[in-house]
Amino acid sequence: MKAKKRKKVDIENITFTTLNTCYLLFLCIVMLYPMLNTLAVSFNDAMDTVRGGIYLLPRKFTFYNYYVVFNMDTIYNAFYISVAKTIVIVVTNLFFTSMLAYTLSRKEYILRKFITTVFVLTMYFNAGLIPNYMLIKNLGMINTFRVYWIPHIISAFNLIVLRTYIKTIPESLIESARIDGAREFRIYMQIVMPLIIPALATIALFVAVGSWNSWFDTFLYNSAKQELSTLQYELQKLLASTMTAGSRAPAGGAYAAAQAGASNVTTPQSIRAAITIVTAVPILLVYPFLQRYFIHGLAIGSVKE
Amino acid sequence: MATKSLAQPKRKKTVWDTIIAQRELIIMSVPLLLYKILFSYVPVIGWTMAFQNYKPAVRSIWKQEWVGLANFAKLFTGVNGERFIKDVRNTLGQSFLTLLVGYLGSISLALLLNEVKNIKFKRIVQNITYMPHFLSWIIVAGLVSTMLAVPTSGGIINDVLIRLGIIKESIMFLSYPEYFWWIVAFSHLWKEMGWNSIIYLAAMTSIDPTLYEAAIIDGANRYQKMWHITLPGIKPTIMVLLIMNIGQLLEAGFEIQYFLGNGLVVERSEIIDIFVLKYGIQMGNYSLATAAGIFKSVVSIILISVANFIAGRIGEEKLI
Amino acid sequence: MKKIVSLLLVMLLVLTATACQPAPKQGTQGTGIQTVSETGESKQTTGLPVLSPDDPTTFSVWITTNFSAPAADNKLTKLLKEKLGVTINYEIITPDTADQKIGVMLAGGEYPDLIGTTDLNYRFIMGGALIPLDDYLTEDKANYLFEHVRPYWNRLATDAGDGVKRIYILPNYNRYYGEITGGTHYGASGFWIQKHVLQELGYPSLDNMTLERYFQMIEEYMKKYPTIDGQPTIGFEILCAPGREWGLTNPPQYLAGAPNNGGVIVDENNVATIFADKDIAKRYYKFLNQMNARGLVDRESFTQTLDQYLAKLATGRVLGMYDQRWSFGNAHDSLVSQGRDERTWVSTMPVYEGKTPYYADRDVMNINQGFGVSVSCKYPDKAVAFLNTMLSEEWQKILSWGIEGEDYHVDANGRFYRTPEQREQQKDLVWRSKNKLEALMDQLPKHQGTFSDGNAFSPGDQPEEFFETLSDYDKNFLNAYGKKTWRDFLNQPPENPVYYPCWNIYLDEDAQTVSQQLTDLALQYLPKAILADPSEFDAIWDEYVSAIRKVNVKVYEDAINAGIQERIRNWGGGR
Repeated sequence: MKAKKRKKVDIENITFTTLNTCYLLFLCIVMLYPMLNTLAVSFNDAMDTVRGGIYLLPRKFTFYNYYVVFNMDTIYNAFYISVAKTIVIVVTNLFFTSMLAYTLSRKEYILRKFITTVFVLTMYFNAGLIPNYMLIKNLGMINTFRVYWIPHIISAFNLIVLRTYIKTIPESLIESARIDGAREFRIYMQIVMPLIIPALATIALFVAVGSWNSWFDTFLYNSAKQELSTLQYELQKLLASTMTAGSRAPAGGAYAAAQAGASNVTTPQSIRAAITIVTAVPILLVYPFLQRYFIHGLAIGSVKE
Repeated sequence: MATKSLAQPKRKKTVWDTIIAQRELIIMSVPLLLYKILFSYVPVIGWTMAFQNYKPAVRSIWKQEWVGLANFAKLFTGVNGERFIKDVRNTLGQSFLTLLVGYLGSISLALLLNEVKNIKFKRIVQNITYMPHFLSWIIVAGLVSTMLAVPTSGGIINDVLIRLGIIKESIMFLSYPEYFWWIVAFSHLWKEMGWNSIIYLAAMTSIDPTLYEAAIIDGANRYQKMWHITLPGIKPTIMVLLIMNIGQLLEAGFEIQYFLGNGLVVERSEIIDIFVLKYGIQMGNYSLATAAGIFKSVVSIILISVANFIAGRIGEEKLI
Repeated sequence: MKKIVSLLLVMLLVLTATACQPAPKQGTQGTGIQTVSETGESKQTTGLPVLSPDDPTTFSVWITTNFSAPAADNKLTKLLKEKLGVTINYEIITPDTADQKIGVMLAGGEYPDLIGTTDLNYRFIMGGALIPLDDYLTEDKANYLFEHVRPYWNRLATDAGDGVKRIYILPNYNRYYGEITGGTHYGASGFWIQKHVLQELGYPSLDNMTLERYFQMIEEYMKKYPTIDGQPTIGFEILCAPGREWGLTNPPQYLAGAPNNGGVIVDENNVATIFADKDIAKRYYKFLNQMNARGLVDRESFTQTLDQYLAKLATGRVLGMYDQRWSFGNAHDSLVSQGRDERTWVSTMPVYEGKTPYYADRDVMNINQGFGVSVSCKYPDKAVAFLNTMLSEEWQKILSWGIEGEDYHVDANGRFYRTPEQREQQKDLVWRSKNKLEALMDQLPKHQGTFSDGNAFSPGDQPEEFFETLSDYDKNFLNAYGKKTWRDFLNQPPENPVYYPCWNIYLDEDAQTVSQQLTDLALQYLPKAILADPSEFDAIWDEYVSAIRKVNVKVYEDAINAGIQERIRNWGGGR
């Protein structure tokens, strides 16, 4: 009887595992394809790509698209600015958001509801482009590095995620620390922080990616200072320079048309592909390092008891 | 309320005592509160733009021409109005479908990944499934558009369907309004499924492993474990995200509708943000854009309050 | 006249290099123009400051353009510094994001020294961001700029809200000097047809082209060649991607023999009315509907993105489309680089019976694009001096052709020409960022047409360059038709009406809204109408027309008519 049951379970297991693996493999193919396609397009001669029909492999291999991207000397400084900005944002964000999330996880905190409401509501309204700009201007943050991180110290969404995660920490741990005389800040730093590492890693990833990909703030606030430009913004401009006058008709008719974007060795599509690869690669390299924290979280979880 | 009046003589002392007792928490949070008020709430004074005929050159907001509710009237009445209301409907419909499809997809992915024993395989799948998140929407739109085209233009879907004999002639998916919401939802799914599953996987790591051990001893099978342990374990995360997302129902994305929308499907494809872009920003009509923004905010806040309230009622974790 | 001025400037440079003059009290640095009077005394007249390396200036320049800023080691940037002491800090904004940036700039009230943007310049003028340039535009100050705007003064002068018309912007395109040669290229609209089609049909005459004949040629060819390179032939492609909606909405006016006035046709009494709901439009779309029923129209026209449209064109299997030459440039270049010149297109001009084609127009000067000097500029004199110097023939040659000996050569007759290597260089984006100042040049006023030595301003217009670079196939093709350039396939552009063109009349918000609504309706109903079964066409068309009736078209028409009347009153002549 027991043997029969075990066999049934075995068959069940095998079916499940097979189906699961097939499904996951299918997902992988479907998800990987666009990336490989973009990679192929980025290495393909632009004029050839325009004909269509590039799928997984380049037909007319060339480095030209990357040559254009890397020859734009402005991207090197922009790269450092992007990296610096991302690091600053991640560090400040993780610290302040988790600290605030901790206070909001304490049920007895009198300001808990009020502060949570104030923060949560910010996710649902926006003062508008011009009012926000005027605020930044009046604070003297136009054309500065500060404008990249100061307005982004706390995001409501991350706050809630961290708060939820912190709430899963057993009260007993915190209580015993209090009894031992620890103050709130110490509890936060020494007990809570180590236990929420998976959540912190997640938030760090979200924040880093968001910061890395953003260009609108550069565009709006720092477009006059080349030294403060970010990678994404420079690449956006590069992309625009390959377009034939974008969505508005070009000024000056035939002359302008003959000059504008008339490089017949590259197209927006190809440059876009190269740019995508260039911006995605750093993230793809960083993610595996953070991934450890997710998978090994199980081990940390068991320390709780 | 009653308790408070009973404790009348002691009331002041109690509250002040609490403040002293919780002073650390206050120091850790109030400065950040003030910070947020400065950066998010103070600029809201700019909402007065919606009640004016705002010209950026007249710099001061108090010197602008006041038009009362005229901008809102512009939004909701007349030819514009019919259009705007359709846009609201489209926005809600697309968001809702995207949410539904997205949740099912990312949660199930997280659950299935959790079941994978082979760590290497698990890592590889994870790494691959989040990749589409890094493609910009314009690339995704281009890929989706190609996929849905006729076989000679690279349309894989039509190609497969014809080969399998399911259809005889290609279906021009992008010319049927009824399909558009699904196209939006599945494009989002493709792009974000892996990325969204990250947060659930992280949440799963906090589930106490002894629960699983106990379940095995009790003879639970895989599905029971998933249903009774894993899912409940990530329920707080799911609920919290759900409530927040409901509040954002009027944000249906922008890029994919902008790039894939066309005249044939515009009845179903145009969303609020595209309308605001065309009739507000591109015409320099910031007042109209602000009015639409206020509308969105008000509705969002109502939605999230309702969602939050319901959550409390059905015994779930409330957001606020 | 110009030679005297150049001589004076040269003298000036020499004099300031050797003399030590204290700066005048107003704070404008540098010296004025010195004239040597008959008695031999040097007289100082008020003029513009001279830019020189002894007195370096830095300008912050905002440009709305798709071009990128020059590389740090750009050779022309160096030249500007060496010769004029000028350094430029670029702030480049792409056209599709410009709306938002302009909004915040105007709200903030602080601007870069020079502002050069596209049609949205008007917002800057009305926003009080630019200074009036009238005082500088005289013969003894900004002489080149004065000459540039003089014949068009009345067009350019705008009222910034104080009732007085002044000039705030220096137009950057289509101010022609010397002969209006018409050029060798044709950049605008047409019903394009693939050269191979014409070849196969024995180079039929393209005169008196009608829609029926145009499609007949396409159909004949398609019967002969149902596939091209293994893929199905496409008869006619309709362009209506975002930003290019005119591909769908413009043709009826051309077919009716009217030039491109945007969404209206202007009759002999100078009254404009929209044509979207008229019979001339109905006829065109009904015809397309029938062609679609015969399988000659690409069904995917309405659902594809711009990239896909261009890709289709670049496969060489599209036989015809209505488009503007600059719009499908990439596809054309791709085919040429594949060596398939026969798959490129030539322009035809179908019209309804009794009408004369008016596809080609005389290039219109852009009155609302170009540089303006902002109110935040601390040294407007120098800014104007800079713009003026850039308009001198010497600098124009550098900006347009390049450095002699490096980017072009001069032959024994003083004609400019390029070697094949030099031509190749011009296509390389990276080379261009190191050797040309494209972004700046985009917004600078240009000496278009011909220089005083007879060379064309633009290398593309230099006849020798054109003929040198023609491929053999194209040479044969042109011969077969007895024509010399692509322009010859188009009509001779008549003199433009004084108010022309209506599409750049500045519209207030209400009129703009109506215009947008009309475009949106066109995109909504016309594809449906064209793809429908022929029996359903009339019903859909009626729906479309009644939807147009609901829109307040009168507001739009009135605004255009007001604009026309204003132009008729004010645009005749110059100062």
